[in-house]
Amino acid sequence: MELYEHPNFRSLLSSQNPDGGWSYTRGGSWTEPTCYALLALSAAGQSASEEGQRAARWLAARQRADGGWAPRDVVPESTWVTSLLLLLPDGVISREQAHRAVAWILSQSGRESSFLFRLRVRLLGATPPPEQEFEGWPWYPNTAGWVGPTSLSILALRKLVPFGDVQIAAEVDRRVEQGRRYLLARRCRDGGWNHGSSKALGYDSDSYPETTGMALLAMHDSQAPEVVVAQTLAKQQIETCRSCEAASWLRLALLARGFQPTSLVLPDPRNTLELAMERITEAAGRGRNVFIQRT
Amino acid sequence: MTRRRWVAGAGAAAVLGGCERKPRKTAPVSIYRAASYSDDLYALVARIIADHKLDVRGKRVVLKPNLVEFDEHAVINTNPKLIHAALEGFRAAGASDVQIAEGPGHRRVTLDLADAAGYFSAVPRFESVFTDLNLDEVTKVRFRHSNSKLDSLFLPNTILNCDLLVSLPKMKTHHWVGATLSMKNLFGIVPGAVYGWPKNVLHWAGIDETIADLHNLFPRAFSIVDGIVGMEGNGPIQGRSRPVGVIVAGADPVAVDATCCRIMRIDPLRVQYLRLSAPEEQLAEESTAQFGESIASVATEFALLPRLSHLRLAKGGKTS
Repeated sequence: MELYEHPNFRSLLSSQNPDGGWSYTRGGSWTEPTCYALLALSAAGQSASEEGQRAARWLAARQRADGGWAPRDVVPESTWVTSLLLLLPDGVISREQAHRAVAWILSQSGRESSFLFRLRVRLLGATPPPEQEFEGWPWYPNTAGWVGPTSLSILALRKLVPFGDVQIAAEVDRRVEQGRRYLLARRCRDGGWNHGSSKALGYDSDSYPETTGMALLAMHDSQAPEVVVAQTLAKQQIETCRSCEAASWLRLALLARGFQPTSLVLPDPRNTLELAMERITEAAGRGRNVFIQRT
Repeated sequence: MTRRRWVAGAGAAAVLGGCERKPRKTAPVSIYRAASYSDDLYALVARIIADHKLDVRGKRVVLKPNLVEFDEHAVINTNPKLIHAALEGFRAAGASDVQIAEGPGHRRVTLDLADAAGYFSAVPRFESVFTDLNLDEVTKVRFRHSNSKLDSLFLPNTILNCDLLVSLPKMKTHHWVGATLSMKNLFGIVPGAVYGWPKNVLHWAGIDETIADLHNLFPRAFSIVDGIVGMEGNGPIQGRSRPVGVIVAGADPVAVDATCCRIMRIDPLRVQYLRLSAPEEQLAEESTAQFGESIASVATEFALLPRLSHLRLAKGGKTS
């Protein structure tokens, strides 16, 4: 069966809003589900369809003056969703728009890793935890870095068409490397990742399957021993995972690392994001991983 | 006064009751014994509704549990049997619509989390009555009096449009603010789709302060605290279970939380978000009309992390 003939793909198309975007479940259009829906269309080779073009127009029209995107029209703040725009097929946003988006992403970093914050901690007589040394990305500006937005930003920056500007290219490379170190430093005691707080007041935390999948996908070409451990964990997690979203991230990561997970049937999708992720993951199983390959 | 009258969108938020610093008469707090989740919680919720004279006929009610993470070895979340009892209780009391709504702070997979925590098995057709507040439609609400560095928040329309918000937290210690009860439970209404997972803006703006700010928006949220089995030590996630065998309820979240603190042998006058939300004299035990079991008869000392030992209520129950 072609990817676009699957009932989940038809469900996804039927839930597109008249303005071209998608909601999470019902209601107005949000940036995040619209990006994932368009990625699913791209994975199915349908980004040039009428639905894909309407989604692309909806997204392209919403870049903010600072270069980022807001999660929803009513929210006057650019957030982590900006990284998703750089994962979309070529041409959805213009090269100039992409440059401004990159500049916005590079301007963001976890507040806990800033010089001023770390200095303040030292002045208060404490030693900043070593995991706070590396620059991750926040969900929302001026807050701490977390595993989800850091993983997505790494994926977005690595999928870029190389920049002609040497300085920007160097900064992209530096931030990607910082992001990868951030992820390595935030692993949980079981070797995977949770939301990004692996230790709370000295108590170790366990990982979640969805964030383990996201981070492992962002580190898909790393052979660091820590990442190999995470890969082993991901293989275990996918066997017992009951969430479509989590299973999708795990499977995408394992596929990107050259493994075909034995668990082929994903749990039923429960919202737009999961419908899209299920289709994106199916396409990755056929060799088209839209988080890594340019489309 | 119902939620819907208090909040009619962002514009009306300016009329919301701010943190009145002068003492006011608090709504009564009731304490009920419930030895286990096998007790007749349906009858208990019906009694709570009757005792507090809650008139929900024709009203839209939203039940807000505390659903955070799932660990089969820990008692992190509000027990789903209590949530189902509340759902049935408010329906039986004549509510036109009763929804369960939550926006977990750490994990995006809310329904899977609810499934693992037993909500699907305890609540028939759970998905049909549940709203993921992390992904809900939102409206900007301005704080009239801000304790934190924030002057506004986007909040879910499901919460803003209901007539009565019912906070159903677990009775737990909290490693940053001392105790997480009905007021802290409102962190879960802040939408992840806007602020992320976790809702880290609240932490940077001040946890105690944003708890107080959210309380100011919902000062008449009704509270039903699951204290049948609570959590002590390194709460709200990694602590140990602490059986208390009580349900605590009331229409004044500050009074309910202060009462729960006393049950846990925590001094409410040392809990910063309570101090931000009410003047000292209002937090005094004698200021709260209370019925049902006495605090002394159910008091159960919750272990505190060493860094929070200063919150311990002095012997005899009086503030030290």
